[in-house]
Amino acid sequence: MTSFLQATLYGLLQGGLLGLIAVGFSLVWGVMNIVNLAHGAFVVLGAYVGWQVNDWIGLDPFLGMFVAAAVLFGLGYALQRWLINLVVNGPVFITLLLTFGLDLMIVQAMNIAFSADYRSIPTSYAGDSLHLGGIRVPLGRLLAFGVSVVVTLALVALVNRTRTGLSIMATGMDRAAARLMGIRARHVYALTFGIAAGLAGMAGTMIGTVGTFNPAAASGYTLLSFVIAVLGGLGNMYGALIGGLVIGLVEAWAGQYLPGTWINALAFLVLVVVLIVRPSGLVGRAYYAARLEV
Amino acid sequence: MAAAARWKPLVPWVSGVLLLLAALGLQSQLYSGQERTVTAIFMFVALAQAWNLLGGYAGYASFGQVVFFGIGGYFTAVAMTHWHLSFWTCLVLGGVVAALFGALIGMPLLRLRGHYFAIATLGVAEGIREVVTNLPGLTGGGAGITLPTVGDQATTAYLGNDGFYLLFLALAALAVLVSGLVAGSRAGYALRAIHQDEQAAAAMGVNTTRIKVLTFALSGLITGLVGATYAFQQVTIFPERLFDVDITVLMVVMVVIGGSGTVLGPLVGAVILQFLSEYLRQNYTSYHIFLLGAIIIVAVVLLPQGAVNYLRDARRTGEYSLLANVRRYRL
Amino acid sequence: MTATPVLRTEHLSRRFGGLNAVSDVSLSIPEGETVGVIGPNGAGKSTLINLVTGHLKPSSGRVLIDGRDLTGARPWVITHAGVARTFQIVKPFRGMTVRENVAIGILYGPHGVRRMSHAREQATRVLEETNLADLAERAPGELSVADARRLEFAKALALRPRLLLLDEVMAGLRHREIESSLELIRTLKTRGITIVVVEHVMRAILAVSDRVVVLHHGKVLTEGRPRDVLSDPQVVEAYLGHRYAQRRTGGS
Repeated sequence: MTSFLQATLYGLLQGGLLGLIAVGFSLVWGVMNIVNLAHGAFVVLGAYVGWQVNDWIGLDPFLGMFVAAAVLFGLGYALQRWLINLVVNGPVFITLLLTFGLDLMIVQAMNIAFSADYRSIPTSYAGDSLHLGGIRVPLGRLLAFGVSVVVTLALVALVNRTRTGLSIMATGMDRAAARLMGIRARHVYALTFGIAAGLAGMAGTMIGTVGTFNPAAASGYTLLSFVIAVLGGLGNMYGALIGGLVIGLVEAWAGQYLPGTWINALAFLVLVVVLIVRPSGLVGRAYYAARLEV
Repeated sequence: MAAAARWKPLVPWVSGVLLLLAALGLQSQLYSGQERTVTAIFMFVALAQAWNLLGGYAGYASFGQVVFFGIGGYFTAVAMTHWHLSFWTCLVLGGVVAALFGALIGMPLLRLRGHYFAIATLGVAEGIREVVTNLPGLTGGGAGITLPTVGDQATTAYLGNDGFYLLFLALAALAVLVSGLVAGSRAGYALRAIHQDEQAAAAMGVNTTRIKVLTFALSGLITGLVGATYAFQQVTIFPERLFDVDITVLMVVMVVIGGSGTVLGPLVGAVILQFLSEYLRQNYTSYHIFLLGAIIIVAVVLLPQGAVNYLRDARRTGEYSLLANVRRYRL
Repeated sequence: MTATPVLRTEHLSRRFGGLNAVSDVSLSIPEGETVGVIGPNGAGKSTLINLVTGHLKPSSGRVLIDGRDLTGARPWVITHAGVARTFQIVKPFRGMTVRENVAIGILYGPHGVRRMSHAREQATRVLEETNLADLAERAPGELSVADARRLEFAKALALRPRLLLLDEVMAGLRHREIESSLELIRTLKTRGITIVVVEHVMRAILAVSDRVVVLHHGKVLTEGRPRDVLSDPQVVEAYLGHRYAQRRTGGS
């Protein structure tokens, strides 16, 4: 029983972090119809930025994550503004390929700069834990979970309550109409991509604090983002958080009770089943029926 | 003039046969390293053509295409090792099993569109890789499986560099032939119509599900045949390699760079990219992935519609500027 | 004894969330009749067509083609039952020539021709009928609005349908272009094809319809002979608003 509760707690804490990783991915997909295959690379790059500022000036990773967010925001903004915008109107697989090319470049650049070794960002407290009954609550993970939930909710507020957020949603719904309303679509797209990259970078630093990372981990985070975004429904930010928690729990329980690496197959099984049964996601609205003219 | 028009339909056939003869003649001129490079090019010509059948003509981009490659390869490995079948039997059966698998997953997945289909197929491929990894008794698991190619256990003598050159050439020729036949056929019309507007295609009487599933199976068949041959060539295979998502992406990149939805495009794309990739690997070992990424980016930005389509349009309109081309697709 | 109607809908309904786009529509259209369907924007005209052709699944009710229950059947099955349609927003196959656009229907329609050369010949004949022969090798993107609408028409005719559903084929056309479309519809009528015309252009409906059905908020408001329906105060109100209707009926 205790081991079950321990796994559940671990899954929830990890799930919040996964939700923060996926929320930007989902936003980019929902608003721009771009599936960003470099998203996982942004996560890992964020971890390296956090690690680097910690190495240079000893900055605590929970502050360093803001540096990572800023750096990744700038990178994301620039990439969208001057590169991805060039092919936004091309066929579906063009943006997939372009971001795959980015993924190759970023991962390889990290390999060259930092080597393929596993790293972790050291703190004096992240490894400590609280004890509740027989259950261990790791402090770093608890903090990361709290930050993830707060940031995700802040993003929801930003998108729903501010001018910038509304222009993002408007552009996502109807780009031509938004442009007629005076919204600068190129800038809004870049902003959206920048926000997504910034959040990925922030999550990356926390990942690097509560666990380990190396460049090869990038593709795993991209795939998890897929699964979570689909589970939660495209562009649905609460959905991403819920999807993250679901995947966190599924993986934690599977890790507890399934042998070998069957745990990896499970996430994909969930993905494929959800796509077939409910392509609009667990909490999303049905995109498909709405497509036909009424 | 009239005579020229009458001969025109024969041009692709004649050039195809000439190309095949040239490839056969080339073999004796190559030393073994070069022969292996050219063999790899043939392999990717076949793979890119197979992907193009559904991804290019019908616009359904399968990002899990490598699953057929892996299934063909692992079927061959398992059947040769455990059931002592000859390679040739395994080759045919491996292709058939991959085709059946394509039909099976195609029925639910081909209802999904765009990115959803791409990702669902990717999910299937990653999932099947995990299944193969987690059945060590049958597949050797992550440690890999070695096909019996020497000694008493060998059911078919190893083909060697020359043999694989010819076999992969045959597969490439088969794939080009199939692609050409599909392009000009009734099915080709239906696939192109589906690409443009699936609802309108259905309204014209096209049983869209059936044609998509059959095409996916056909594409799986060819990919499975290539995977089976690759497994035999490599002797020892691992799930990480046989289900490597990079193989799928290479197929897509080759088709896109060459020109999707054409017969010539995947051929041109596969030759260019595989050649370039090999050159980079040999000359810039530690940077070659980085450079490959950069090349992919430059290629899709400058030629989103592919080299073949770009040249066709440019010849018609007289507009050769790549910048004008970029302007057509940018925001 | 009356012959089985070509198209029959029984209590056909479709909801989108809380909106009843089509509700309880029962129609019966005998062979050879031309029926006009009118109604203000959002009355459910296009939804009705989509329900008949299988592009939308009904929430309840039945669709019978020649007495066969084809409720919720897939679009290609409906097409093979002899039904052809046009789309309100034209849907040409952009990567293909005008001739190839038409050939698709000949290859895959109810009379499925297998030989490519035969299909091309027949496509040419359909293009001649619809005055598109000169544009056979053009890309659909190069066509004018009127020609694009005619291509939509030609694609439907390529199926050699018994029932033809026309969804606003005259929208955005000029006077002379409307005349030529009407001429085409009259020719089809003489061949005994059953036609449903959904249209905003009232003059067009009057010119060709034997009977008019008025939809309003997804329901059948009234139906009858074109003249009678147009002078019905309910119809006037639905189209032009309450106050205008009062003034008109009060004044006359």
